[in-house]
Amino acid sequence: MKQIRLMVNGESHELSVPPWRTLLEVIREDLGLTGTKEGCSLGECGACTVIMDGRAVNSCLVLAAEADGKQIVTIEGLADGDKLHPIQQAFVEHGGLQCGFCTPGMIMSAKALLDETPTPTEEEIRRGIAGNLCRCTGYTKIIESIKAAAGNTEEK
Amino acid sequence: MVTFYRRLPKFDYLAPKTIGEALSLLSQYKGRTKVIAGGTDVIPKLRRREAKTPDYIIDLKGIPDWDYVKYSKDDGLSLGALATIHDVETSPIIREKFSVLSQAAESMASPQVRNRGTIAGNICNAVPSSDTAPALLTLEAKLKLISQRGERTVNIEDFFTGPNKTVLSDEELLQEIQVPNLPPYSKGVYLKLSPRRSMDLAIVGIAVVVISDKGVCKDIRIGLGAVAPTPIRAKRAEDIIRGQRFSDTVVERAAEIAASESHPIDDHRASAEYRKEMVKTLTKRAINQAISSF
Amino acid sequence: MAEFSVIGERLPRVDAREKVTGEAKYAADYSLPNMLWCKLLRSPYPHARILSIDTSKAERLPGVKAVVTAKDFGGWTWGWMPATRDEPPLAVDKVRYMAEAVAGVAAIDEDTAEEACQLIRVDYEELPGVFEPEEAMRESAPKVHDYVKNNISVEYHWNFGDVEKAFAESYIVREDRFRTSRATHGYLEPPAILAYYDPTGYITVWASKQSPYFHYRHLAACFKLPLSKVRVIQPFIGGGFGGTKNDSLAGDFCAVLLSKITGKPVKYVESMEEELVTSRRRHSMIVYSKMGTKKDGTLTAIHHRVVADGGGYTAVGPLSLYLAGFATTLPYRLPNFKYDAYRVFTNNPIGAAMRGHGITHTRFAAEIQMGMIAEELGIDPVEMRMQNAIDNPKPGTIYETINKVTLKTCGLKEAIQKVTEDPIWRDRNKTPRKEGNISWGVGLSGTSYLGGARQMGHQACAAIVRVCEDGTVNLITGATDCGQGSDTVLCMIAAEELGIKLEDVNIKRVDTAYTPVDPGSYGSRVTILAGQATQKAAREAKRQLLEAAAKTWQVKSEDVEIRERKVFITSDPERSMPFNKLSKIACYSGTGAVILGTGYSGYGLEPLDLTNGIGNGGTSYSFTAQSARVGVDMETGKITVTDFTIASDCGRLLSPIQAEGQIEGASVQGMGQTIYEDFIMDRGKTLNPTLLDYKMPHSTDIPNIKLIDIVTNDPDGPFGAKETSEGSIVSTPPAVVSAIHDATGIWFKELPITPEKVIKALKEKL
Repeated sequence: MKQIRLMVNGESHELSVPPWRTLLEVIREDLGLTGTKEGCSLGECGACTVIMDGRAVNSCLVLAAEADGKQIVTIEGLADGDKLHPIQQAFVEHGGLQCGFCTPGMIMSAKALLDETPTPTEEEIRRGIAGNLCRCTGYTKIIESIKAAAGNTEEK
Repeated sequence: MVTFYRRLPKFDYLAPKTIGEALSLLSQYKGRTKVIAGGTDVIPKLRRREAKTPDYIIDLKGIPDWDYVKYSKDDGLSLGALATIHDVETSPIIREKFSVLSQAAESMASPQVRNRGTIAGNICNAVPSSDTAPALLTLEAKLKLISQRGERTVNIEDFFTGPNKTVLSDEELLQEIQVPNLPPYSKGVYLKLSPRRSMDLAIVGIAVVVISDKGVCKDIRIGLGAVAPTPIRAKRAEDIIRGQRFSDTVVERAAEIAASESHPIDDHRASAEYRKEMVKTLTKRAINQAISSF
Repeated sequence: MAEFSVIGERLPRVDAREKVTGEAKYAADYSLPNMLWCKLLRSPYPHARILSIDTSKAERLPGVKAVVTAKDFGGWTWGWMPATRDEPPLAVDKVRYMAEAVAGVAAIDEDTAEEACQLIRVDYEELPGVFEPEEAMRESAPKVHDYVKNNISVEYHWNFGDVEKAFAESYIVREDRFRTSRATHGYLEPPAILAYYDPTGYITVWASKQSPYFHYRHLAACFKLPLSKVRVIQPFIGGGFGGTKNDSLAGDFCAVLLSKITGKPVKYVESMEEELVTSRRRHSMIVYSKMGTKKDGTLTAIHHRVVADGGGYTAVGPLSLYLAGFATTLPYRLPNFKYDAYRVFTNNPIGAAMRGHGITHTRFAAEIQMGMIAEELGIDPVEMRMQNAIDNPKPGTIYETINKVTLKTCGLKEAIQKVTEDPIWRDRNKTPRKEGNISWGVGLSGTSYLGGARQMGHQACAAIVRVCEDGTVNLITGATDCGQGSDTVLCMIAAEELGIKLEDVNIKRVDTAYTPVDPGSYGSRVTILAGQATQKAAREAKRQLLEAAAKTWQVKSEDVEIRERKVFITSDPERSMPFNKLSKIACYSGTGAVILGTGYSGYGLEPLDLTNGIGNGGTSYSFTAQSARVGVDMETGKITVTDFTIASDCGRLLSPIQAEGQIEGASVQGMGQTIYEDFIMDRGKTLNPTLLDYKMPHSTDIPNIKLIDIVTNDPDGPFGAKETSEGSIVSTPPAVVSAIHDATGIWFKELPITPEKVIKALKEKL
């Protein structure tokens, strides 16, 4: 067993986990934060995306032990109490979600993108979420939502 | 028997704090370890039970100051073993002076994978369709390997020995990737052929570095990926063009020869015939693109 | 004043907040104390006899609590119809497709369960397999099911008019062979279930089911319990698209049985690879299409001979084959139609339903063939479509096809018109045709899809509207929102009928213990049928409210109106009160302290005529015209789709944001299946069982999508609605294929169109 300390959404957690546990499994099963989803378990769909030390990563590919001491932000860490994060708000208003399963990962990728590139072009948005599969929306309204969140209201 | 695994197999995890410590663990547990940097190749393989489960995963990321991207006029580019694909993709010096490598890096996988995966890990994993490998071949990179017994430097051309196989022993680590300076008037192009625009492995990956001297090809390096058991240089094709004035005829000829130097296989992604033909098509395109940017 | 105050407004979906915050729970997010994990052992062969299974070593592994095999299910099987109950929860004497489940393990954690599976010893006798449906039909082919002749799972022969005579009299007759790809739904959420079998004889499951009531019947039958003791609680569902999640799985039955044996809750979650390899897929269909027209392009006859790859079991196959045929007489007038269709057992994964069920395959073939004929005749493809398209029936009239499919609205001509006026089609010759290696092309299609589908057996659905004393409203229905947004639409319908706002209505998620039975989400039936039930329930609740208002104001109910939370007398609007005040009055003075309206829709429930193909398969039909612009790299074959313009006649869009999202999503899904998606099979084995190689479109692959809304206000749907979005998964493949033809001169008849196929075809053309 490995003793690790995870900083998740600003809260510190001391955990004892088997070495083969992934960060995704620990977030979902040990911390009960089920907002981050397991889609493909191979890093091919992006449903498990969290932000670790400022970078978007597939948490299914990170061992919990590797995340020891790291700052992790999950979807549950975005809203400020009742107030939605601007990206969340934009997704709600512009219909950037349907079944919602890809949505947490998608929003985290969007956040990572906007944190690095506050006013991205459409191409940059597409590339920024290229690691997140969505089968419901066809991406069109997701891209619109991210543009709105970035404050881009002009034409693509 | 067929079981679909969601969980990883059982192993122990060690996080050395120095290279020396890491090397000593590799020796101590010889043959029972797997080194992990970004983990983006190792973890999926373990999950699908495609690789032998190690007793110990040795995580190198605890070793400080190993993710550097350094450049000097004399020594060229040095990449630490923990430099990520993202670091390479976005490094201004690489984009400016070794752009074939940043083009290859930006064509890979997803932002999430590029944030974690390392360039060293990518070439040590040695898939025939690696994107960075053909680029590094054209840059004539040198790899500094280190073990408890000492160091050795290997040319990238001699590094790959087969699909997923390299000269790296199970007690060695890839410490640094060194890319010598390119002469002036060098242009690099990496072209990746795949059905979609992201997230695909290359069906064919072509890297080209052209060094020009007033319309004459002073030197050229052509790297082919996904069309042989390892990434390779198309040396006979290079010989045809080297020293010649650039023309459609000579580029066409070189592209044809590059195709003949490839030995692709049929697999579920593409047929050997199509791949071979695409080597010609893309080599021609890459060279022309490089030439036209002078 | 606008016609509606809620319907047609651009309102966010009612569950958006839960989903963007991560609060929404899906099946795999549920846990219970003392929960065990279930894992399945699956067959390494596509066709083999099971000689023996030895579970003893697995049972002895510390942490393993129970192991089950087929014998523990006592020979029970299930199927879509009584006559097709051929599927057991675990393989009994034979496995019929690769990775069919043969045993289930419950253990204290998933790692142990996975390890235990490896300790189960199964002795197989490998049997010769058959993997192509046309081969499987031959006398000499291995039999997938011992009692089934020529491996024919389903067979239909329908005949309307006289196709032979019509072909003989046609100016031109074409015969072509088409094939659709091996595609799957591709939802991001692998199926999952948390099951608890209470020792008193009560099953509770949280399961990702698009049709929870199918599942509850399956469980009741399998475990011999009354329906009242089977509770399927529906979590949020991560996409369905009409396949596996409409049905039950080996993992479902095993989780419940293991819970029964161990007395503990049992959780089963599939891996994505497991889902891709073992779940139901869209049928791959071979369509031999024969089409005749007059010299001016008027259609005279179609003969379709369809051979569908059914895989190892029947599942919903009879419906798939029916749907592939009955609507071929739409959307163009067709005086003669013959349909000979076969669904054939093979040792491939099971072929079943997927969005655009059935019609997708044959409409693709017919559209492309029409394009080929237009080319041969030298007729403009738009002209040809307009000439043959069914006209919008005048209000009060009905159009009937030769096989008695009826429709009251058809916006196809207007849709085609609008698409051709849009710059993508209109200006297609103004932009360069070739740019370097890229050849540009624009294509067009005109298609139809049904809504308000029915299957067999119980079809009707119901809704309950409960008005709380503070003016907020609960909507209780068995209709499933699997992500498509039906919860939002139903709430909008209730809000509109009651005269209140969307945010005043709260919908309860489906829970078979409390919600009225509903067939589920498929065939675009929820808005139409559950919507109608909701409308009726809301009207009934409103009637009770108006009665209370009438009493209070000493007027007649007909004199009172409710609009935007205000209750008022129509002729004297100054006499008004807020909705929540009326609710309080009504609740406190009524015969019970609850205002409750119930509604039921048994609309359009004539049984399907599978044998003869006569009559409707749905209550109404959407019509879609689409243009597509593609660039083909003539040296590599790589295809880039840059633009879609989609004009959809969905009757009326009740919730525009949701409807648009659906249409866009379906078109991208259709594009995926046209140029990227295919399972590459090698003797029953899936060679590309991961999302890396089963290539669904990513954000960098999608075209710019422009939507045009055609409003026909159909009398058969609530507020004029018809189905939305299955239309655009049908319209996309032919639009893209005809665009590729425009760019390359080649008509592709086999999907998907990969770069390699393009290069090969270009070479052969020379």
